[in-house]
Formats: sequence, C-alpha cells, structure tokens
Amino acid sequence: MQNQADKEKERQVTRRGFLKMMGGIGLTGITATIAGCSTDPAGGKGWMPQQYQVASSFPVQVKGRIPIDPTNPSITRDDKKCVLCGQCVEVCQRVQTVYGYYELPIKDDITCVNCGQCTLWCPTAAITERDDIDKVVQALEDKSIHVVVQTAPATRVGLGEEFGMAPGSFVEGKQVAALKKLGFDAVFDTNFSADLTIFEEGTELIKRVTGALDEPLPQFTSCSPGWVKFCEYYYPDLLHHMSTCKSPQQMLGALVKTYYAKEKGISPDKIFSVSIMPCTAKKFEAARPEMNSAGKHAGKPELRDVDVVLTTRELARLIKSKGIDLTSLKDEKYDTLMGESTSAGLIFGATGGVMEAAIRSAYFLITKQEPPEALLNLTPIRGLQGCKEATVNIPGVGDVKVAVVHGLSNARPILEAVRKGDAPYHFIEFMCCPGGCISGGGQPRTSLPPSDEVRQARINSIYNADAHIYAKRKSHENKEVLALYEKFLESPNSHIAHELLHTHYEDRSKHLTVKKNA
Amino acid sequence: MSKGVLVDLTKCVGCGSCTVACKLYNGNAWDETTPTLGDKAKLTGKNWTVVHHKEVKDSNGQPVWRFVKQQCLHCKEPACVSACFAKAFQKTEAGPVIYYPHLCVGCRYCMVACPFNVPKYEWEKAFPLVTKCMMCSDKVEKGEAPACVSVCPADVFKFGEREELLKEAKAIIAKDAKYVKHIYGEEEVGGTDWIYISDVPFDQLGFKTNVTKRSLPSYTASFMHATPFVGITWGVILTGLYHYTKRRNQVSKENNKNIKA
Amino acid sequence: MASHAQAQKWSFRITPIRVLLLLLSAVAIGAIIFRLVTGLGTVTNLSDEWPWGLWIGFDVLCGVALAGGGYGTALIVHVLHKDYFHPIARSAMLTSLLGYLLVMAGLFLDIGQWFNFWRPFVSWGHHSVLFEVFWCVSCYTTVQVLEFGEIATERVGKQFHSIFKKALPVLMIVGIIFPTLHQSSLGALYLLMVDKLYPLWWSPIIFLFFLMSSFFVGPAMICVETTLAGKAYDHWIPIPILRKLVRISGYAMILYLIIKIVDLTNRGVLGLAFSGTFEANWFLIEMIFGIIIPIVIAFTGFSNSRSGLFTFGLLVSCGVVLNRMNVVVTGMIRSTGVSYVPSLWEFVVSAGLVAMGVLAYCFIVENFKILEHDNHSHAA
Repeated sequence: MQNQADKEKERQVTRRGFLKMMGGIGLTGITATIAGCSTDPAGGKGWMPQQYQVASSFPVQVKGRIPIDPTNPSITRDDKKCVLCGQCVEVCQRVQTVYGYYELPIKDDITCVNCGQCTLWCPTAAITERDDIDKVVQALEDKSIHVVVQTAPATRVGLGEEFGMAPGSFVEGKQVAALKKLGFDAVFDTNFSADLTIFEEGTELIKRVTGALDEPLPQFTSCSPGWVKFCEYYYPDLLHHMSTCKSPQQMLGALVKTYYAKEKGISPDKIFSVSIMPCTAKKFEAARPEMNSAGKHAGKPELRDVDVVLTTRELARLIKSKGIDLTSLKDEKYDTLMGESTSAGLIFGATGGVMEAAIRSAYFLITKQEPPEALLNLTPIRGLQGCKEATVNIPGVGDVKVAVVHGLSNARPILEAVRKGDAPYHFIEFMCCPGGCISGGGQPRTSLPPSDEVRQARINSIYNADAHIYAKRKSHENKEVLALYEKFLESPNSHIAHELLHTHYEDRSKHLTVKKNA
Repeated sequence: MSKGVLVDLTKCVGCGSCTVACKLYNGNAWDETTPTLGDKAKLTGKNWTVVHHKEVKDSNGQPVWRFVKQQCLHCKEPACVSACFAKAFQKTEAGPVIYYPHLCVGCRYCMVACPFNVPKYEWEKAFPLVTKCMMCSDKVEKGEAPACVSVCPADVFKFGEREELLKEAKAIIAKDAKYVKHIYGEEEVGGTDWIYISDVPFDQLGFKTNVTKRSLPSYTASFMHATPFVGITWGVILTGLYHYTKRRNQVSKENNKNIKA
Repeated sequence: MASHAQAQKWSFRITPIRVLLLLLSAVAIGAIIFRLVTGLGTVTNLSDEWPWGLWIGFDVLCGVALAGGGYGTALIVHVLHKDYFHPIARSAMLTSLLGYLLVMAGLFLDIGQWFNFWRPFVSWGHHSVLFEVFWCVSCYTTVQVLEFGEIATERVGKQFHSIFKKALPVLMIVGIIFPTLHQSSLGALYLLMVDKLYPLWWSPIIFLFFLMSSFFVGPAMICVETTLAGKAYDHWIPIPILRKLVRISGYAMILYLIIKIVDLTNRGVLGLAFSGTFEANWFLIEMIFGIIIPIVIAFTGFSNSRSGLFTFGLLVSCGVVLNRMNVVVTGMIRSTGVSYVPSLWEFVVSAGLVAMGVLAYCFIVENFKILEHDNHSHAA
C-alpha cells in the first residue's frame, strides 16, 4: 500500500497547487472582466455627439464634411465629435471657395489653404487648431532655452473674449502681462514687424510703380498665408504680382534669431521663437521649408525662424491652465528692441488696415511730407464690404488706385480681372479671412457661424486704438524700426533685407486640377 | 432585384464622412487604436467601413492619392451565408447580407470563408460576436440609401438596383477614357452588390483581383447535395457487408466443424 | 498492483509521468476557465487575420483525424468480420471515443458564444458544410458513448449489458457512416477557401484527401498506441496483426499518393511543389515523411519489427497532423499576409486536453476490459 500513500501525497500537492492557481486565475479573470481591462478612473467618457441625433432615425440634414489631411499642420478633426452637419463644407466651399473648386479625381494633395475658418463654423468643435501648447510649455520649462514670443495685431482684440470679456475688448497690456507671467523671456509685438513690412513692401511698390523693379502691377499683399497658398493653388500665374515680402510674423521670426540674438549676445540655437496669432495658416507658414532665413544666415539651416505658432485660443488655454486670470492682470509693456509699434502696424489686424498703413507711409516716403488727416482715416477701405476700392492722390505720383479684398470668395473676381488685364489697381490687399485677421481661424469661437457683429466689434476696437490709444499712427515714425535699419538692415530692400525679410512662392497648381469657370 | 451601390473611386476626396455616418447610424464606438481613415485604416469589430489612403501612380505615371472605401461587398451569393451553420448570416431579398447575433455560435467559419476578409470579431470581449457592414438593411428595406451613401459630399456613390447600376457603370467607363475597363464586383465571386469603378488599376488600390468568378457557395453545393445519398448508400453497403461477412464466417466455421467431425 | 483482476475496486496508478500529466491538465483547466470567462482575445493569439488557429487546427482537425482509427477498425472488425484484428478493436475504439470527446471540448473552447453551442440543432444552416460536421460529430460521439456502454455495462449497470450488446451492430454501422461523412466534410470546409488556401492543399477533392488520410492514419495510431500501451501494461499485440493492418494502411496511402499527384497535375500546380517556396517545402516534408517513407516501411521488412511499426505509426500520425496544420496555417499565410504563432496558453490548453485524454485512457484501461477481453463476447 505504498502506492496508496504516494497517491494521497500527490493528490494533496496537486490539489493545493491547483487551488492556488485557480485563485490567481479567477481573480485576474474577474478583475479583467468586471473592469473591462481598464485601469482608468471613473468619469470623463461622456462626450456624445449622438446628443444631436435620435437613435435609429437618420437625420435628413446631414451633408458630410470637408477632407482634412491627417498631417495638416494647422487643423485637426476629432471624428468622435463630428455630426456631419456640413458647416465646414459650407464655409470652405461658399465663403473660401477652396473645396469644390478643383476637379476630381484629386491629385496628390488634399487642397487646403489652412485658414481654419472651418474651426469657427464647426458647431461641435470637432475641427480645431492643431494643439502645439505642449511644445511651448516644454520650451518654457527648459531654463537653458531663451523663449521669445510675438503677438499679432489682432489677438489683443480677441483674447479677452476667452475670459468672458465683450467682443473687441482691448487687452494688449494684459496679454503682455500674461505672457511675462507664463515665463517668456522676451515679449515682442508683431506690430513692430508690421511697421517694418510697410517699409519693405512700400519700397517694393514704389519700385514697381517707377519701373525700378521689373515686376507687374498691381502688387498683391503677402501677409496672409492662407491667401498666399490660395494664390499658389488657384492663380499661380499671378504670383509675380505677389509682394516678395514675408509676413510680419516671419520677418520678426527671422530678426529674433539674427538681430535680437546679436544684440543680446545669445546663440540663435538657444532661442525658441513663439508667435501668438489669430490664424491657423500661420502654423503652416512657419513650417514652410524656406522659412529658415535666420538659420541659413547663421549657418544652421535646420533652425526655424518661428518655432511654434499658437493661436489665440491656444494662448487662452495655456493662460487658464496656469491658473492666470487675464482680466485681473495689470497692463504691462512690450520689451524694447522690437516692441515699439505704431497704430499703422496695429490696423494690419483688420481688413483694409495694411492698405491704409501703406498709404500713410507711402505718402511720406514719396513726398517726404506727412499725409493729410483724410489719409489717416481712409474710411472707404474700412469695414466689412467684401471688395473695397479707393483712389489716393499722392503728389508727384498722381492717382494711386487701390483695392481691398477679404474672404477668398471675394478674391476670385478681382483675380480674374487681373488675369484679363482689367484691373486698374496699383496695389491690392488680400486677406484670407472675412473681416481680416480679427476674424481669423485661430480667434475665439463666437456665435455660429461667426457673425459680422463680432467682427465689427473687433474692427472698431482696432480703429479705436488707432485713433485714441496709440501715440504714433505712421509706420515710418517707429523709432525701433529706424534703429533696426541703422544698426542691422542698412535700408529697405537692401541685400540683407532681401535675405531675411523677403521670400519666394511655389506654384502648387500641380497638386490639383483647377476647375474651369468655377 | 437586389439593391446595390456603385462607387466611383475617382470622385472620393477622402473626407471620411461615410465612416462617421456608419459609426453614428450603427452606434459603434470609435476604435482608439485603429482609425477609419488614412494609411492605417482597418476594418475591425468597431469599424464596419473604412477609407484607405493609397499613394499610387496615375496613367501618366504621376503620383496621385486615391481613397478607397472598404466595407462588406454584399456578394450576390455570399460565402459567409453558405458557411454559417446556424443561419446567423442571411442574404435579404433587397440585397444586404445581414447578421443575427443571437444565432451566432462564434465559430468564425464566416471569417475564414469570406474571400475579402470582411467579417471581424470582437476579440476584446468575453462573449464576442462577428461584425460587419449590414448595408443599413433597415434603411435599404425602406428604399433609402445606406447611411454612408447618404452623407457623401462628393457624389462618390450611387444607390439603386444593382443591374441598373451595372449598366450605368458600363456606360461611364465606356464613355470616359480615364477609367480602367473593369467593374470590380461585376463578376468577382459571382458578383457583388457593391460595385466599383476607378481610374487606377484595382490591384494597386488594395483590391483582391485574383479571386474566382464562380460563386463560392457553388463549390460546396454539390458536396452538400451528395451527402445524404452518400450517407444512405454507404449505410446500405455496410449493412449488406455486415450480414454477408457474418454469414460467410458462420459458414466457414460450420465447414470447419464438419471437417473436424 | 492495480489491475482489473481485483474485480470491483477502482484503481488508478500514480507514476511520475501521470503526476506531470495531472499538473498539465490542471493548468489547462485553469486556462480554460480563464478563457471562458474573459474571452478569446486575452488568452489566444487569434486575430481578425487568423480567426482559426491551433485549437481548430490541432484539437479539432487533427483530433478528429487521429481518432479516425476507431471507425476504420470498426469497419474491419465488426462489419467485415475480420476477427483476426479483434485484439485491437476495443482499444482503438476507446482512443477514438476519447479523441472525439476532446475534439468536442476543443470546439467548445474555440467558439465565442459557447453558451450558444446548441444553436445549430434548432437553427439549421443546412447549406453549410460545418452544419454537416456539427451534426455528424455530435451524433458520432453519442454513438461512441453508446458503444462504450457495451463495455461499461460489463462492470457497472450490468442489467443493461444485453441491450447494449444487441444494439451494438446497428451502432457500429451508424458509427461508420457518420465519420465517413464528417471526416470528408472537415476537408470540404476548405472548399470555400479557393482564393485563400495555397493550391498545393486546396483542391476540389480536398474532402477525399481528408477522408482517406483519416482512414490510413487509423492503423498508424494503433501502432503508436499499442506500443505505448504495451510498454505501460506489458500487453503486446502480435506483430503480424499490426503488420497486416499497416499493409491495409499502406495500400490506402499508395492510392492517396496517386490521386494527389493526378489532382495536382490536373490543376497544373504540381510544379509548385518543387518551387522551393515556404509552402512547397512544407508540402514536400508532409509528402515524403508522412506518406512516401511510411509506404516504404509498410512494404519492406522494416515493418516486421516493433520499432519499424512504431516508426511507421509515428511518421504517418505526424504526417497527418502536419497536413492538417498545413491546411489551417501554412497554406493560409500567403493570403493572410501576417504570421500566426499560437500563444503559450493555446499550447497549454491543447497539451492539457491531450494529457486529460491520456489519463482517461489509462484509467479506463485499468478498470475495464479493454486490452484483454473475451473474443467471443464480440463475435455476435
């Protein structure tokens, strides 16, 4: 009966081992089943776009949506929030004339001018800017990196809305204070480089008018990257009309890593350049391969002129995430060297502003006299009418005919006219977004779709500051710009100015088949 | 007459509206790991339709992007239906191949049988079911287009009687030189209710082009029909043999006895 | 010593190997419960690309094929009344019964809605080959249990013994029809995969290959089994009996080989076998080691020794296993595009099922008249 004892022993061993194992497996199994293998805490899973739908009854008003390339640097879409309402199609096709203006089949690109207007129309905020906040936070936390920021003209009349203030609230000083509190090492004003743009672009215009530059008239403004890409896609034959000037954002970016770096004795690769923009297309613009002039100048072509672009909405989120209450901040001033600005730079943010600023200074550059009061309030080219024109008499030149267009659907007729040679203008301002940058795709979301009321409030705020808050109203009075020319750039359109402040464009028509007679 | 959908791949802009409509209509969760649109798009238990992004060359050798919507093709004679031993898959009069979860045993023969690898499984679940596009069969019953078809902003789809769509597709590819002269789904596995036309050869777009033109159930039909007869005949033969050999053994035993005696 | 000599005592010897088998079974049962509770995704490496894996391939397809020894032996002994082979009949049929029970267990584990396993009994997908397999396997297993009833009632429930004995011939005939049908329909399952299964294995007559191989693997399994049982219980089946069986098997294999070559040639894919591809090499291994070498053994003097018979049995059995795995895995890799390696737990469960089968076999052999029994009790 030796076997009997062995059997008993074996049985015990296996039974114990078996029970142990079963316990382990059972526990794991039950945990895994009950918890669905998830270790997430409760809550936070309730965002249901279905709230717009009724189960089993397919809505009749669905219209689909625009295509968005997953690698689009400006905008992204959260499929979970999309309800296929078709508002993005509406704005992209009807307001911006991008979607639906190319033949199918497509070529090797999802045609998008990165304007981000769809982010303002999307009722569920499924379409948003590509969030780059983390990159900025990372740079701010790295003590070895010198983080420089610039703020566009239009953000100061939009940012307040994110903090409960009325549309158009003017928060320039508070914005600067918030940025300093966030830890930016230098806060500069894109108004400064807008003033600089006037020097460069005005000089270019004069050269075109006088024939010193063998490029056609009318000259097109080039500060709206959405507009620039639109022209590259649909009117590549007119790119010679485009001013070679970079946008103010890119000019300041190029100067931060050259002029500022030199003045402060900081190595350009230790500088991280951020810009706060009302615009999603600025993210695309900053990422254009050729936007590395400062890097090339320093022999480090991998450096970007502008490292990260944050929209107004992202800045608001960043400020909120750090527990800063914008409304209670004391106004602060921009840092010197590239912080001074005139209101000519400021009005770049509203439709017609670039043109008005240009005329103010062109008058001075040509006549060496200050422009008359009427030219400081050039009302015919202000406001929300889609296409505006004006004729300005400049002594010595004669009548200068200008036009102002905002919203890309308004650009098409005038571009067709230019194509046919029927456009009698010398200079045309194009702004991609309706109302100009104050209603850019990166500005705070408002009523849906964005209303002219809000646009007008922001525009009024800008012109109010132009008339009443800013001390100087003409770009050529900007002392820091003059100092910049004196110390670094020599003169407008100089060789180094061309190297850092001017750019070239790309014919993108090979990436789509433009619809004829669209 | 069964309903079908004609898909013109040249018109797709890759917006993915169809994939969203599918999710919304069928109440399917979004798959965090597998997108419904782009290079990594994949049919899964949650993704009943996806739009693949393909970088290919057009007829001029120029690089172009094409988007290919994938879902169940709703074969005229579906392998999954023929494979299912519990009638969980059924082909409706109107065309859609539909699935009844309560009948499913979970054997996954449908998945192995499907020539296009469409049915997917809810692997993460304790009691998983097979999933695939139902062609919004309740909408189709009412004569409405499936959800994905109804939301397309680019006019990629045409919903209607399959045979008429086939005629229309033939007319389109005959008239317009850019199309390849093939209608995918016209003859593949005996014909599918979703048919595709394209300007880029289908094999470059991820379509399985080397499939048989015979309906798959026809491969097993004759086998299945023969089964009862084989069974009965075999039974008769065996019974006969049983009695014959038994008798023979007895006879030989008796003979042996006789010899001994 | 435990043996059926001690008539009424249940006995089960414990040896180190059996402890190992018990442990393996225990681990497998744990894994099985875990799988039944949590689903297939957590335990197996199955995926949308590989809906069928080791469990279907080994537990079911191979299990059914290897358990095919039962019906072949039944055919030879009970229908053709070749009493010469009587000594192996009971053990062959026991192996078969256990094999089928394990197949049922394997199938049960592999289906996702396991509580719904009975559905095809009421919801008839009669156009499905699997429907036929399902019914045949269910019925055949029932028949086999009843067949075993004749043996079991020799010891328990003796009063029913005469009923079972009378019913046996009918059960035997039914018990041959069913396997004939489902062995072939297991192959016919793959008729649908004409565009997926590699042409070396897919064939319009794949069901015939499955049927034939399940027939000739029977004697091979008996050779393996009797060698093992012989060692364990010192009960040796005479070599001539086994050799005769092996010869029957050998003839079937020659026929199989001829039909295979004709089929491949007819479809114009014979060349693929020598193309040096992954599939071709596995196919050649299957044919050479599983068919050709065993044929040589069967018809030469090598089969006149225990080691020769054992080698034959092992090669043919492994050849059939390889054939089934080639159909389920190797032949599908190309069309699937991704590879499949079973998870540890899939192996554990498969091995555990086999272990349980071996243990059950040992228990039954030690407690019922399986190896040595009265020839005349079956003669009726």
